[in-house]
Amino acid sequence: MITKPLQPILTVSVPPHAHCGRTIKGYMSETLIALLPAAIMAIVAFGMGAMRVVALSCAVAVLTEAICNKLTKREQTLDDFSGLHTGLLFAFLLPASAPWWLVTMGAASSIIIGKMIFGGLGANPLSSPLIGWATCRISWGDAMDTNTTMLMSELPAPLQQLKYFGLDSVETIDSISLLLGKQLGGLGEVQIAALLAGGVFLLIRRHIRWEIPVAFIVGVAVTAWIYQLIDPTAYASPLFHLLTGGTIFGALFLATDPASTPVGPIPTILFGLMAGIMVIVIRVYGIYPDGVPFAILLANLFTPLLDRIRPKPFGGAYQLTQEPEDEALCEKC
Amino acid sequence: MTTFNFSLLTGDTGPLVKGTEPDRLHIPIHAHTPILAAGDQVLAGTKIATANQPGEGDLHAPMSGVIKAITPDYMRIAVNGDERADATKPPADLGELKQWLREQGVNVGNLNQASRLIINAVPPEPGITIYDPLLRDYRKTIELGVETIQRIASTSKMNLVAAKGNRANAFANCTVMHVAPTYPNGLDQLVIKAVTKEEVLLGAHHKDAVLLSVRDLYFIGRVMETGRPVTETVMTIGTQNHLVRIGTPVGFLAGEAGATVQPGDRLILGGLMRGMAALNLEQGVNKDTTGLQLVRDDESIKATDSPCLGCGECERHCPARIMPGMLSRCSEFKFFERAEKFHIHSCIECGICSYWCTSQRPILHYIRLAKYELALLRTATSNLPTDTQEETGQQTGESE
Repeated sequence: MITKPLQPILTVSVPPHAHCGRTIKGYMSETLIALLPAAIMAIVAFGMGAMRVVALSCAVAVLTEAICNKLTKREQTLDDFSGLHTGLLFAFLLPASAPWWLVTMGAASSIIIGKMIFGGLGANPLSSPLIGWATCRISWGDAMDTNTTMLMSELPAPLQQLKYFGLDSVETIDSISLLLGKQLGGLGEVQIAALLAGGVFLLIRRHIRWEIPVAFIVGVAVTAWIYQLIDPTAYASPLFHLLTGGTIFGALFLATDPASTPVGPIPTILFGLMAGIMVIVIRVYGIYPDGVPFAILLANLFTPLLDRIRPKPFGGAYQLTQEPEDEALCEKC
Repeated sequence: MTTFNFSLLTGDTGPLVKGTEPDRLHIPIHAHTPILAAGDQVLAGTKIATANQPGEGDLHAPMSGVIKAITPDYMRIAVNGDERADATKPPADLGELKQWLREQGVNVGNLNQASRLIINAVPPEPGITIYDPLLRDYRKTIELGVETIQRIASTSKMNLVAAKGNRANAFANCTVMHVAPTYPNGLDQLVIKAVTKEEVLLGAHHKDAVLLSVRDLYFIGRVMETGRPVTETVMTIGTQNHLVRIGTPVGFLAGEAGATVQPGDRLILGGLMRGMAALNLEQGVNKDTTGLQLVRDDESIKATDSPCLGCGECERHCPARIMPGMLSRCSEFKFFERAEKFHIHSCIECGICSYWCTSQRPILHYIRLAKYELALLRTATSNLPTDTQEETGQQTGESE
């Protein structure tokens, strides 16, 4: 029997009926807005090459996500901009000279093995754009080298010079030009001033919290300072390390990825410090000039462990118990 | 819902308004067993159903009329006449008093022997101001309620907990405590914590304290005063507080308040954080209803099944210091046992996690589902029949 429902039909839903108004789409689009100044600066600095890489990376990332969703028969999630976000972050790590196949492979692997394979948005244990970066860096190291592929450029490559020619070779580079992005590196990650502006915007909008960026920067600065104390003639200053390569980009945009980072105040600070210290350790001892991506990936691996640092739950730990006789009863059946 | 905020300040509330009498009542009875049948005539105050849970109060007809229908969820009464059942006198014997109160519809579940009585005068949710007019205009009744509880539970100490900035005058021999006027400070668990510094899980009782709200005490006082059962509730509708008969249809109340309900709107029984959405305009209010709020279709949140981003906003705001996002994932993928390892029982069901969720996931609902499934899982194994014959016997018995 079909009974006519009482009019008007009300919406029935679960509490709470109030919400702060935040959406995934809002978070993603505001992060994209925060990245926009750096993208523009990159195009100004590196010309159409940068634009080509950014556009291709974003397009491939979005397309790959759509195909993955199609293949796994999931609902299309392109309208939350998360694919675009990953694609843009990945493009920021590439040199402006990157060939099309490198961009395509990297953006596709960011999405496939960085994100979709783990179950899509929110399930990635590691920062997805860094997975794409690591894939490319290990597989096609020459093509990823921001210095050798950009020989036409007159800009300095501070981290490579520091690594291969020692501290003397970078002493002439002044901090202001570094801050304004006049250096070689990933096309977006070196736009320090623009990234700082975007980061402040995200902090004000409370999309990211201060703990990870601050701890990351403190970790970098203090470790660099310690090395400088050990031997001022061999190791660069903390300021140099902060203003070169992807330090600021990593601190504000990569290490703050929601899914792959811990949450509580102590875990986040430890996470940031750990990643920051690793950056300098890799820059000093590693074979890669810039240690930021690998430092963050390593710290990401510690996230499940760091998340175990928890306050005591309300009222203490409690387990719903069965009656004592159940044990014997269950053994029988 | 950007205008919503967590402030529990009540400001100036007017006097308690006695609502217009409805011509029909839909009394929710899903926790009660009806003792009358359809067609029976009832007077105002006639017992209509007994409680299933120990401690829960029985149900009485709020107005005289004829029972038109009884369904598992509600009893419909068509109101006619205004005859009242006879009042009874409270028994002098303390042992019988508790039982008598229960028969008069008072929930006596937590009236254990304790040394401390905690009076909760902090509004339970933003926008609910029911305690203010009661404390101001019905002091005598509340004092009578306090006195009764002091006798039953033999408490010696008393604390009145109020939100800072709200008016709250102490009773005799009573210490007033203030808490910050923000949600969720009015929830029972947090009020107990504010007074005793001890954290009691949701559903458990403090071993040496009895917590009652101002409203509970008011109704106990009224029962003692008049000898008539509890058949009303105090609700905030709009900015006014109303004394409403249980079973009054929400559509009737909304109409009285001058609101037009459009298709797709929500009528919320209670506050916006924890209230229950009404199924239809005919749903009646029950004894625990504290308010009625209308949420328009376009200004309400629509829960999604978007994945958890892991941003941790829920965790940062959680008053129970647990990981609601993780719990919602456990529940989503049916890892209920794992939810227990993440301390699901510490949740006090305030709903703040869902309020802050960027993915707009129904986190509180996921947590409740996991709690329910866990309870089912545990009781299912403990109620296993000893042999199969008995099982089949029970099953056929039940199906009949």
